[in-house]
Amino acid sequence: MAHVADTSPVLHRPTRPETAARRPHIGFEGKMMTPGLIVLAALSIVPFLALIAMSFSRVRLLGGVRLEPAALRNWARFFTDTDMWMSWLRTVVYFVLTVGLEMILGVAIALCLQRVLRGRNILLSLVLLPMFAAPSIVGLLGRYLTDSTFGLYAWILRSLGFSGDVLGDPTSAFAAVVLMDVWEWTPLIALITLAGLSSVPQTVREAAAVDGASWWMTFRYIILPAISNVLLVALLIRSMDAIRYFDIIWVTTNGGPADATKIVPIRLYETAFRFFDLGYAAAIGLAMLAFSIFIARMFVRLLDTRGLTR
Amino acid sequence: MDGDSSRPSRREVLRGALAAGASLTAAAALSACGAQGDVRRARSGDPWRQFAGATLNFISENTAPTAAIAANVRPFTDLTGINIKIVTLELNAVAQRVALDLASGGAEYQVIYADPYQILAPYRKGLVDLRTMQADPNLPKVPGGVGDFIPTQLDAAGRFVDPHAIYTLPYDAPTMIWQYRRDLFAKYHGRMAHDLGFDPTPGGDRTWEEYFKIAEWFNKNARSDVAYGTGHQARQHDSLMNDFSNVLWSYGGDYFDNGKKVGRLGAQDPGPCRLDSPAAIAAARFYDRLLGIADPASRTWDWDGLGAAMRAGRLAMCPNWHEYAATNEQVIPGKVDYAPLPKGPAGTANMYGGTGVAINANTRPHERGAAWLFIVWATAPATQLADLKSKAGGGTPTRTSVYRLPEVRAAEKRPSSMPNMLTASAVTQAWLPDRIGLRPKIPMWNECDTAIFTQLSRMLTGEASPEEAMRSTKKRIDRIVARGWVA
Repeated sequence: MAHVADTSPVLHRPTRPETAARRPHIGFEGKMMTPGLIVLAALSIVPFLALIAMSFSRVRLLGGVRLEPAALRNWARFFTDTDMWMSWLRTVVYFVLTVGLEMILGVAIALCLQRVLRGRNILLSLVLLPMFAAPSIVGLLGRYLTDSTFGLYAWILRSLGFSGDVLGDPTSAFAAVVLMDVWEWTPLIALITLAGLSSVPQTVREAAAVDGASWWMTFRYIILPAISNVLLVALLIRSMDAIRYFDIIWVTTNGGPADATKIVPIRLYETAFRFFDLGYAAAIGLAMLAFSIFIARMFVRLLDTRGLTR
Repeated sequence: MDGDSSRPSRREVLRGALAAGASLTAAAALSACGAQGDVRRARSGDPWRQFAGATLNFISENTAPTAAIAANVRPFTDLTGINIKIVTLELNAVAQRVALDLASGGAEYQVIYADPYQILAPYRKGLVDLRTMQADPNLPKVPGGVGDFIPTQLDAAGRFVDPHAIYTLPYDAPTMIWQYRRDLFAKYHGRMAHDLGFDPTPGGDRTWEEYFKIAEWFNKNARSDVAYGTGHQARQHDSLMNDFSNVLWSYGGDYFDNGKKVGRLGAQDPGPCRLDSPAAIAAARFYDRLLGIADPASRTWDWDGLGAAMRAGRLAMCPNWHEYAATNEQVIPGKVDYAPLPKGPAGTANMYGGTGVAINANTRPHERGAAWLFIVWATAPATQLADLKSKAGGGTPTRTSVYRLPEVRAAEKRPSSMPNMLTASAVTQAWLPDRIGLRPKIPMWNECDTAIFTQLSRMLTGEASPEEAMRSTKKRIDRIVARGWVA
């Protein structure tokens, strides 16, 4: 028995208009976006696909780049390379230390600056100065200041009884590169936080003061919740940067001593541009990309739950 | 209406014109990128002027000899009419740019400062075999012939595996020698000889053990003059491998079997690493002990840092590249002298770090000819003599004939108008076949080098014992060599 709908002439639509309706329609906006999409594909999608292909190949350079199939060799090496895992561990420690210290110090500096009434602009300009130096210059500065022959910091540390060499010992070298990054990027957090603090209503603070709230309680229950969204954005920006950290370490310690500062980006650079093992470097690069996406997704999800991405 | 519909609309005409313009621009840009023309060859009787008007790019490490060439390039342009643009970079950056240039299939850099270990060994297929240029009757010959180059240097810097092919002409010859404060050694000679029981004068007869004792003596007795007896280039860097290798070879250890051959001519597959041998472990133990009494900042110095510390008066002595003599004379004139490095149980070894100049094999025929003129001129005895006199620095010659010139021989003694020649006596001994220190010339050296200096750095920071450091380096090098090299 046929269903009424199958036989009803009213419900039957002619075939041609139906097909036309299903055909993808590129509107005016689509056409306007096409050149941009082509450039985007050329700049990111094509290299990304090339990177995936390279990670499964041995890359020949002479006479033009050529790929020789290497199956899963690069990936197998990646997962069994203990030196690489140590670099990942160092990267995570480095990431937690730099971003953590920058957040704490940045918020503290912003809170202090907010209380300053006279000369705040001059102070703010001074605080922001390190941020305007290129990271490699910061590295060179750090290297010269800690140089045991003519470095100012080395001289101060010597007069305080420190007999070693800052960049010659694994622990102090790691601490030094962390502090150099913190010195350069804490001002960014301070600036973002300061902008967030200006949006906390003065009346609420005054009400808290009238109610007898201590400084800590005001900060914990009024200021921090009010600026938490701004802090989350600052955290996202700095996290993405910290994962790619390269310049300062390259200039100061070259990954040493004893590999103490060899984080993943340094190892990636070394594999790609010193050893020219581009297949393995592609595998490391893709892993770094996955790690960055994971971190970014984590923050975006947090922002999403607070309704800040809409 | 029919007639109107067949005629292209204004919009269509504009669109067509835009598309045609874009295509033409793209085609022009592509042809400009891909089809760079060869230089013109003039039909003149002078073989040196046949490529007048050409422009060549020379990429080099930022060394003193290249600084001197850059300051002294005008005579070449006057002679040939060829313009030279010199790009100087740190060695790793040079190797990187050369590799990418060769990969592009083009020749952005026609003349290449070809480090034997970072460029020649891995990319020799990208370099011109210079015998083809020598055989060309239209091109000038190498003045004095290739036999005028110091033989060990021609092999080490110019050849790879094939004992006949020549890929580079030796251009500079930095070699590690013993640099010491002659004023302090003169001041304390008697006391030191009495306390130590041997003549402390630096020279080929001293042993590494004696070097250690001299350094320790300075640490204890001359703090008012210098902070430490010895300093080293022991940063986690290529410099650490160089510094250690002198000790390794003098103790009878080596990186591979047939180390002399692998160092002089090179090898594609050098076989298993021999750093786990008793001699290599003994060398590592001594080096660890030596660095224990050296300036602690040694772990942060490469050759430049060490040179600066020596000139700042921190150290009584150090092993460093001989080309620092010119700067030493500028900063502390008359206070530093030079000797071959001490010997160990198996003799002495002085690390050679010389490099040659090569021609990119992607060059077009006339461009290649112009590049040949430049490398012949840059390594000619007259140019090497001018570099020796240069105020911009300069190295030491790679030609035996230059060392025989009376004015050069006279400059070996103070007062010297060519301060690098003050090292001549030390380096000419160091370049003898049984004394020259040649690291393995293998295509995958860069990665092996990194494994060596990383494990040595672990040893120096106390994270690994000398035995562990040598064994783990061996394991890593074997793995790297087994993977082979793809270029």
